[in-house]
Amino acid sequence: MVDPANSTLGKMLLDEITPVVMVIRTSLVEEISQRNGLSFNELLSPFCVFNNIDVPVRTASDQPYRLRKFKLRLFNASDIRQPNIEVANERIRQVITRAGEKDFPDVSAETVPIETVLSTSTTKLLSSWFLFFNKELVRTVSFSEHEAFDHPVACLLAVSSKDDDPINKFVDLFNSDQLPPLFNDGAMDPNILKHFVLVHDNQDGTAERATKILAEMKATFGASNCRLLCINSSEDGSVQHLENPWASFKNDGSSDQQLGRFLSMDDMDELKNAMHDLSSKHIIPYMEQKVRVLNQQVSATRRGFRNQIKNLWWRKGKEDVPDNPNGPTYTFSSMESQIRVLGDYAFMLRDYELALSNYKLLSTDYKLDKAWKHLAGAQEMIGLTHFMLDLSSKDAEYWMEHAFATYSKLGSSGHRNATRCGLWWVEMLKATDQFKEAANVYFRISGEELLHSAVMLEQASYCYLFSSPPLLRKYGFHLVLSGDLYKKCDQIKHAIRTYRSALSVFRGTTWNHIKDHVHFHIGKWYAFLGMFDVAITHMLEILACGHQSKATQELFLRDFFQIVQKTGKTFEVLKLQLPVINISSLRVFFEDHRTYGSDTAVSVKESFWQSLEEDMIPSYSSMKTNWLDSHGKNLTQKYKDSSVCVAGEVIKVDVEFTNPLQIPISVSGVSLICEHSGRSDGTNSDSNSSTSKIELVKLGVDGNLNGDTSSFVLSEVDLLLSGGETILAQLTVVPKVEGTLEIVGVRWKLSGSVSGFCKFDPDLFKKKAAGGKRKSKKSLSNRMKFLVIKSVPKLEATMHHLPESLYAGNLRRLALELRNSSNTPVKNLKMKVSHPRFLSIGDQEVMKTEFPGCLERRGNFAQGHASAKTNKASDNVFLFPEDTVISGESPFLWPVYLRAAVPGNISLYTIIYYEVGDTSSVIRYRLLRMHYNVEVLPSLDVSFQISPRPSRLQEFLVRMDIINKTSSEKFQFHQLSSVGNEWEISLVQPMDTIFPSDFLVAGEALSCYFKLKSCRKRASPEGDVSCKVPLEKSNIRLGHDKSEELYDISRSPLVDFHHCERANQGISKQEHLTEVDFILISRSQSDGKAGLELLSHHACHCSVASSSPIWWLMESPKTIRHDFGLSFCEIKLKMTIHNASDSIASIHFKTFDSTANTNSSTAGASSVSAANEAGWHDTSLQNDIKLTSDAPGNRVAKPLSPVCVSPFIWSASSSTRVKLEPLSSIQIPLQICVFSPGTHDISNYTLHWDLDGPTESSGTCQGQSYYISVLQQD
Amino acid sequence: MATTACFMIVSKNDIPIYEAEVGTAIKKDETAYQHQFVLHAALDIVQDQAWTTSAMFLKGIDRFNDSVVWVHVTAEIHTRLMLLHDSRNDDGIKSFFQEVHELYLKTLLNPLYLPGTRITSSHFDTKVRALARKYL
Repeated sequence: MVDPANSTLGKMLLDEITPVVMVIRTSLVEEISQRNGLSFNELLSPFCVFNNIDVPVRTASDQPYRLRKFKLRLFNASDIRQPNIEVANERIRQVITRAGEKDFPDVSAETVPIETVLSTSTTKLLSSWFLFFNKELVRTVSFSEHEAFDHPVACLLAVSSKDDDPINKFVDLFNSDQLPPLFNDGAMDPNILKHFVLVHDNQDGTAERATKILAEMKATFGASNCRLLCINSSEDGSVQHLENPWASFKNDGSSDQQLGRFLSMDDMDELKNAMHDLSSKHIIPYMEQKVRVLNQQVSATRRGFRNQIKNLWWRKGKEDVPDNPNGPTYTFSSMESQIRVLGDYAFMLRDYELALSNYKLLSTDYKLDKAWKHLAGAQEMIGLTHFMLDLSSKDAEYWMEHAFATYSKLGSSGHRNATRCGLWWVEMLKATDQFKEAANVYFRISGEELLHSAVMLEQASYCYLFSSPPLLRKYGFHLVLSGDLYKKCDQIKHAIRTYRSALSVFRGTTWNHIKDHVHFHIGKWYAFLGMFDVAITHMLEILACGHQSKATQELFLRDFFQIVQKTGKTFEVLKLQLPVINISSLRVFFEDHRTYGSDTAVSVKESFWQSLEEDMIPSYSSMKTNWLDSHGKNLTQKYKDSSVCVAGEVIKVDVEFTNPLQIPISVSGVSLICEHSGRSDGTNSDSNSSTSKIELVKLGVDGNLNGDTSSFVLSEVDLLLSGGETILAQLTVVPKVEGTLEIVGVRWKLSGSVSGFCKFDPDLFKKKAAGGKRKSKKSLSNRMKFLVIKSVPKLEATMHHLPESLYAGNLRRLALELRNSSNTPVKNLKMKVSHPRFLSIGDQEVMKTEFPGCLERRGNFAQGHASAKTNKASDNVFLFPEDTVISGESPFLWPVYLRAAVPGNISLYTIIYYEVGDTSSVIRYRLLRMHYNVEVLPSLDVSFQISPRPSRLQEFLVRMDIINKTSSEKFQFHQLSSVGNEWEISLVQPMDTIFPSDFLVAGEALSCYFKLKSCRKRASPEGDVSCKVPLEKSNIRLGHDKSEELYDISRSPLVDFHHCERANQGISKQEHLTEVDFILISRSQSDGKAGLELLSHHACHCSVASSSPIWWLMESPKTIRHDFGLSFCEIKLKMTIHNASDSIASIHFKTFDSTANTNSSTAGASSVSAANEAGWHDTSLQNDIKLTSDAPGNRVAKPLSPVCVSPFIWSASSSTRVKLEPLSSIQIPLQICVFSPGTHDISNYTLHWDLDGPTESSGTCQGQSYYISVLQQD
Repeated sequence: MATTACFMIVSKNDIPIYEAEVGTAIKKDETAYQHQFVLHAALDIVQDQAWTTSAMFLKGIDRFNDSVVWVHVTAEIHTRLMLLHDSRNDDGIKSFFQEVHELYLKTLLNPLYLPGTRITSSHFDTKVRALARKYL
């Protein structure tokens, strides 16, 4: 611990608690000293400080000691009173304001990081104007009547030698009414030491008159008390003082040179001597004496046990005195005042032990008297003496705290004293490094007076900073508190200073409310001072204040824009936080050899396109050699490094803008910032790729100028973002000239007044370019870099008449229009469709004809069949005719058929490959990728059921069930066709009767029956297995209008789509010959549309029979009447067996009687009656009727009785073997004997077949149900 | 229930991961930042005191005007539950902290929650507010 006298507090006390000398002078004296630019007090002050006065002092004890440092305080008599509070405050305000001007931080300076603040010394921050401020604050409570150290010890009377009748003047001066109130109200003994000084101005003549007066004075006032002071010896008034002693005493800072210019060195010496004499020969001895006298007095009356008892008793008696709110008043003659004077004098003479004992004595008295203010004063002094004695710091603090508390108890009257006490206390704590506690005290001091509190809080914050460990957050908080108060007192510069210091703590904090508060206020205050640039930099920090309430957001934005408006210019800001740009959402779209028909096509995965393109584009190696030949390796390098784009074609960039606020913001003029360089310096541009902030801003500004002049064209977008909204903006740049183009960033304008820039930092995002795999290998820095090559023709395609939604089965003709806007022709066109089931490419000739009229059958139907396949190179790639060359503006039309095959949302991908006629280009071929979405709604649900006709061989009954699944559409049926010319189809009943209404309305279902007959015949000599059925028989008209032409299903689109349907509806497990494909052609007639839409429904692989290649049929009379009374009945049956396969079959027919049973006739009837049921469509039930070998015994109904004898037996051969040629029939005679009347099921036989030929197979068939009714003949 | 009360959870590096104004007083814009300031400054004291005791509940460690800052540190010290409160209700605050701590631990157990990030769960929020109504 440092020596108390050398600590800040010690120095302060030695400075402040010193004897006061009251100065009373005439106006002429003042005049003389004013010639030096100084008042009389100021003139003398520098000489009242003695650093080594070396005077022996003997107070209460007998042991004298030497006083080293000593100081006198000079005050005019008029100033010795309680200072006026307003005046004092005003002076303090000025001090603060001046400090504010001086300490105002440099705008350009960055706020210091907290580490630097920590390392700056304590003194630097604390020794500044705070000390001065504290001193001023302490002074505001000087000359209080409750403490004696401010009471004048002596009185200095000064009269000029020019005054008339100086002796009387001296008398008048002291006796006038100008004496301070302390004397008049009895707080002080008016009989004090007087010292008489005659001031003589050497310029007014020689000192003769003065010496004469002095002699007179000595005679009157006593020789020792008088003195002559001659000054202003220098005649020209040009004396320069090297160390100007007055500088620190002059407050207003007038120029130092002028001070004391008439004072020669002799004058200075004289002044010095005069003051030295005054203190050493008069004041100190006087004080010594007074101390001794008082001490004796006190010892006599108060010390000792007897006196204490007496004192107590006496004071008890006073208790009935009514309580004065200010406590009792003590006159100078009262014992208490005397003790106080004793203590204070002892203190000033550095006899701290004597002082302490007296103060302690005093404090008990005051306590008993409830004289709180006096008590506090005494306690305060006890604390200070403790400190100065270097006793335990705990005690000193204890007393200071008590004093502080006692002052505080007094309320507003004691507040200022409390402040002073607090300041001393703080210094005491600081001296023992208890900064945290010191800060607490500072905080307690701050109270009513806002400005004072502000300074106190700021000092508190520094205490937190210097405490160990540093309490940085407290530091920041108290700075902010203090800044707030500064603001309230209009000390804006101080406010800014404190807030800026606080920023060093709160920089980068995630406590968003704190950050916003600090930045917002600094910004606002700077704006108030007119420093808009700095204001805006701070305001920018708070723009993205999504966490704030709506009102606050509005406030922030409004203030921000007001400031911006005041600057009168548009601001350019590199990192504008509003709106928020979602860098990860950044997507770049450009076209090199891949071009896109629509935006949706761009978003399709690159790998998907590549898989589609595989068989269209020339192989990579051949491609490479091609253009390597024509160009140097130089270009290869570039081509690899950056993406390629074509001059004149658009590069699109998608950027997401988000408004984090709840209030709408308007963003205008959003555009890209691009850098373009000619081809020659393409490589150089890499060197300065790290564009600095300023450059970028410059670029942004220049961008406007560049835009229309030369190398590229930018688009501008305006957005209005409502609260919390995110908008995807598509920005474009069109390079005009070959070279390299780099997209550097994006710029926008917020509310028309602030320009924001955002650089696309390559590290920040992953470009999701259309480039896909090839791009991923490239270095990050090149991602936004494009090699612009000279313009290459580009095909644009439009699909005309493509509906957005259509009904399943709908068949339409679309027109694909290709357009090449450049004059360079393109050739070798190829086209590929991802879903051939939906899209089919037609012939050019049909463009001229009308659809669907062209499908109608006119004479020459054979032609369509042949031409359909000519242009198909491979599976799906369609080659346009060799001579197709598209150039110029003329559009090129090609028919395309669309058939909605299945319901759902269908994405159709189409790729057109074309080669560029100009061989010098880097790009030899290009691809046009198109993507369309079609919504297909369900329309008709068509199902077919085929069952063999029991009565006829090779004839089948077809049931067609149709349901209209739409909600509003009506359908009209036009025709039903079987495909393949092998089947004859005919109606069972005319259409008019089964479906009279002609239209199938929404939700309606319909079933109708057809006869189907196989026309396959034995091989004709030419080897043509299938024979042609006339078209009239393979198609039937369903429409009521007989005049309508039937459509030819073998025509191009229908047959193509049918192939696709066949492929899609599953590969048949059975042989082709047992299947039949149907096409139902219908038309929809919606109310809105004028024309009729054609629909085709394809049902493929409808199985006509079992897997067995053998068909057979029983024939006999159905009903026989026989008299069983005579004999059993013999019935002859005939079985026709047909080999439907292409190879020779050997058939083994076997009968057996055991399982034969008689059924009631229900079984047979049920199949018929069920079939007549209209409108039912549960197709699964129908399977039962089909005779299948894998479901034996299904037919077997419950037997009538287990013991029943078989009612009939096979009477002819029980086993027959036959061989059958392909596609031929044979008849076998059979016979049964029936024993009883009834309906008999003749199904107890099996047919076993073996097929020779290439695919050997065999199987067994159970007998079919065949019913014969035998009736008893009457 | 207290008129002003502000609850915060502060994770490592003094990053606030949850904050709620749970007082009954009408919410004003000024109070939000004031509370943050007071709580932020109190962290200095927490830092001092957390290592001096083994108890998790540090009681009222700091005050500003009438409000007292109550702190509960978690076992790993870095996460601090802080409550700014203007009435002395020792037991209530203690139970409040215990239950919120439990809630916080449950949040930590959530595999999708990355410790040290902001707690955005609305369930957590409603629970905390309910607890505040119950105890404070």
